Amino acid sequence: MGNKERKRHVLYDENGNPTKDKPWIFRTYAGHTNVWESNKLYRGNLSRGQTGLSIAFDLPTQCGYSSDHPLARPEIGKVGVPINSLDDFHILFDGIPIEEMNTSMTINATSMWLLALYIALAKERGVEVSKLQGTTQNDIVKEYLARGTYIFPPEPSFRLISEMYEYCIVHLPKWNPSNISSYHLQEAGATPVQELAYSLANAIGLLDLIKERGKVSEEQFEMIVGRISFFVNAGIRFIEEMCKMRAFVELWDEITLKRYNVKNPKYRLFRYGVQVNSLGLTEKQPENNAWRILIEALGVTLSRKARCRALQLPAWNEALSLPRPWDQQWSLRLQQILAYETDLLEYPDIFDGSYVIESKVNELKEEAQKEIQKILDMGGIRVALETGYIKSQLVRSMSERMSKINSGEIIVVGVNKWTDGLPSPLQAGDGGIFKVDPESAKRTLEALEKTKKNRNPKKVREALEYLKECARNGENLMPASIECALARVTTGEWADALREIFGEYRPPTGIEGQRLFLEDAKVTNIRNRVEDFTKQKGHRPRIVVGKPGLDGHSNGAEMIAVAARHCGFDVIYSGIRLTPQEIVHSAIEEHADILGLSIMSGSHLELVEQVMEELKKHHAFSEIPVVVGGIIPQKDFDKLYEMGVKRIFTPSDYHLIEIMEKIMDIIEESQKEKVLI
Amino acid sequence: MPTETKDQILDLVDRTLSGHKFSIAKLISLFENTKPELIEIKNQIIDYLKQKSSHRGFFVGITGTPGVGKSTLTGKLALKVLEVSSESKVAILAIDPSSEISGGALLGDRTRVRLPIYEERIYFRSQANDRELGGLSKHTFSVSRVLFYLFDWIFIETVGIGQSEIEIQHIADTILLVLQPLTGDQIQFMKAGIMEIPNAFVINKWDQEKEAKKTYYTLKSTLSFVRPEMEKLPIFRVSAQKGLGLEEVLEYLIEEKSKKTNFRLEEKEAYYFEKWVRTQYGLKGLEILKNFGGASLFIKETGSFDLALQKFSKIEYVIQYP
Repeated sequence: MGNKERKRHVLYDENGNPTKDKPWIFRTYAGHTNVWESNKLYRGNLSRGQTGLSIAFDLPTQCGYSSDHPLARPEIGKVGVPINSLDDFHILFDGIPIEEMNTSMTINATSMWLLALYIALAKERGVEVSKLQGTTQNDIVKEYLARGTYIFPPEPSFRLISEMYEYCIVHLPKWNPSNISSYHLQEAGATPVQELAYSLANAIGLLDLIKERGKVSEEQFEMIVGRISFFVNAGIRFIEEMCKMRAFVELWDEITLKRYNVKNPKYRLFRYGVQVNSLGLTEKQPENNAWRILIEALGVTLSRKARCRALQLPAWNEALSLPRPWDQQWSLRLQQILAYETDLLEYPDIFDGSYVIESKVNELKEEAQKEIQKILDMGGIRVALETGYIKSQLVRSMSERMSKINSGEIIVVGVNKWTDGLPSPLQAGDGGIFKVDPESAKRTLEALEKTKKNRNPKKVREALEYLKECARNGENLMPASIECALARVTTGEWADALREIFGEYRPPTGIEGQRLFLEDAKVTNIRNRVEDFTKQKGHRPRIVVGKPGLDGHSNGAEMIAVAARHCGFDVIYSGIRLTPQEIVHSAIEEHADILGLSIMSGSHLELVEQVMEELKKHHAFSEIPVVVGGIIPQKDFDKLYEMGVKRIFTPSDYHLIEIMEKIMDIIEESQKEKVLI
Repeated sequence: MPTETKDQILDLVDRTLSGHKFSIAKLISLFENTKPELIEIKNQIIDYLKQKSSHRGFFVGITGTPGVGKSTLTGKLALKVLEVSSESKVAILAIDPSSEISGGALLGDRTRVRLPIYEERIYFRSQANDRELGGLSKHTFSVSRVLFYLFDWIFIETVGIGQSEIEIQHIADTILLVLQPLTGDQIQFMKAGIMEIPNAFVINKWDQEKEAKKTYYTLKSTLSFVRPEMEKLPIFRVSAQKGLGLEEVLEYLIEEKSKKTNFRLEEKEAYYFEKWVRTQYGLKGLEILKNFGGASLFIKETGSFDLALQKFSKIEYVIQYP
């Protein structure tokens, strides 16, 4: 057929006929409240034309606690759906044909458990397990570095991931056991080069390990390489981001070919899904986020060669609270317009032959390769994690970014420039925010109780013993986990059994030795105030920075810790996931001049209340002032002030030194009555 | 002038004696403050503590370079102390380095030592060195004066920057130098300074490293070069993380504690008094002190460490120095 007449701007199929690409998978990251509500939500989304499921789990499920654990209670159903047992999965997927679904689960430390539940569900429904399709995120590296829902130390964590690959390649060939996520690295401050390097080093670490374990044949290994998929972030600098995606594609092809000798080009494809950047979404003038999301979506769809396989877009109001169904629908519509109204899918790659793009891609590749080599020389990804190397690189990048926003070098419209604007009608009515009904947790707890009552305790005991036995003797834990699922073991019980064998982990915080890249009059001024205080009190102002609860988004806390030290404070920051009691205990023993809490999970009311109670117990309530930072809706401010909070910082307080000034005001004020001690 | 009355302060001290943590925290802060107008009240507090308290602390210095696992070891030893003597009260004072630029510090040792929070017999406090050389803070001694009367065991963990970390010898009753498996070269390098002060060595991470044995023998042979009598010093092999070998270290510490006869602070006070005079008034100050017969005598004659500080400040006023 007319090969000689082929036009360079037309896309042809295998037979040489003009064609058009199929759109990517549209996803909405969703799940909240309880299994009944989430089921309703999924069915609604599917009926509106969504083609895959992306399940958000609540923090207790992600951290391996059942809903009735004290740490879990304030978080039930807040940022995702709570899953306690197989009974919950039956309700969650009620009326949804799992054999036809492509189900993506954002779950990590407890991935094996959730996959076991999904397999058990298929078994009880009589669905062929090999038909199951989807992804468990299961990337522990970015949990240690950015997201915080790790449980076990690196060694057993990597073991769990490897075992899932070894199991799936035999039993669930269409399942992606893990998904290397550079997404969260960018949220934690990673530059494009760092995103490339750390996620590829992560993938190398995983594949090297699977190879080293020697449990799969060479042919299976090649297939495993083909199953490695990525979850990438797309930021606002969309040309560079597009180049980053092209660099990813090329680097992955090179690595899989050279390092692993994968012959089948299909298995060397860089397959990736995208959630566009949330870090850059602003609380101020939130309607502008709609444009940001659109532009960011372009970065990962424009270049055919580096186009994403699946896309999920945040909602315009994500910096304010959890999105409502309408907000999610609006984001989905954007994808539909892009894929179906525009001519985007009709062309071959429109950047091929651009020397600008080529040169930029090469630069990113070269720098990323250098960084990858550095990590490999260090001993690989695990060493780079355990020594805190990567974490401190990320905190450094984030400090640089914050410093640049503070100095105006990076412009954020509506935040540090063009800040005056008319109020947005989008926020009228219910204020544009969504809140989980606190009563809904009751239903989850009742269901859990019911499951525990109805199950066979002997079977539960045996299943857990078998699991522990396998954990000790190094056997693959997948079959034992499925046994547990079928026996109605709970999420907390499964995780506790493994905690007993593997122990729990606390990674480096990465803030040691960090500083801001700001040296201006404001900095000098506050340092002088600190010196005055020090002369007066005999010690530098001491701040305890605490992240209570299960939420692991630690950027805010880290930046405050770095900024406080930069201003001359003595800083106590012990990392994430501490109980309110532990944080208050630090503040008491250290005789803190102020206690700063960072809370992003939406559980600020419950957590602050617990902190205040604990302070009262130690007779320190009136002496240690408390400030709170995080995603906190305006309407909760008064309640927090009533509890005794002195000041609330939200994402619109982006200027670190100004935050420190306000903190210093509060310290000075509270010291007025205390002359001696 | 202080607004709190003497009674209020002594109330606070009473609460510290009954183990109230926030009161202990405040008392420590008070002793970190070197303002002259506080000398009087500090003197009264110490007097009061001397009468009321039955505790007299034994000071254990834990030193060694960063990353060798000082914090983990300290935490584990503290818990072990409680295991063998449940009546004991233990304090940990951990010193961290301050930034040369801003003066601020990240007090991170708390992160590495996870202690049961409802354990009332253990108290953990961080201190920034505030750019002070020598491995301790300016206020470490001052604070240790109250800890002495509130606790039976006081572990002081030094900054861990390196060879010049020798200040601890003037406070600690016994010093452990913590090492991790490393090459012989590094031990050679450490010969001076820090290698001369410990009473015992602890090689940590003994379980993991192939280098550990080599380290042990290199250390043994190096010690004889530093000072021949050091060859006899105990070398403990532990894994703090896994809790291995800690019993032996504790046994040693308990024995050292039982050997101690003089549970008083006089000698340490004399050293720190002289140091204070030197910092405040330089060589001229030292000369004046010498004319009074030296620090020990001066403190004895004025009645207490605090009163001596007060009196010496007035001498300075009389001679209008500088």
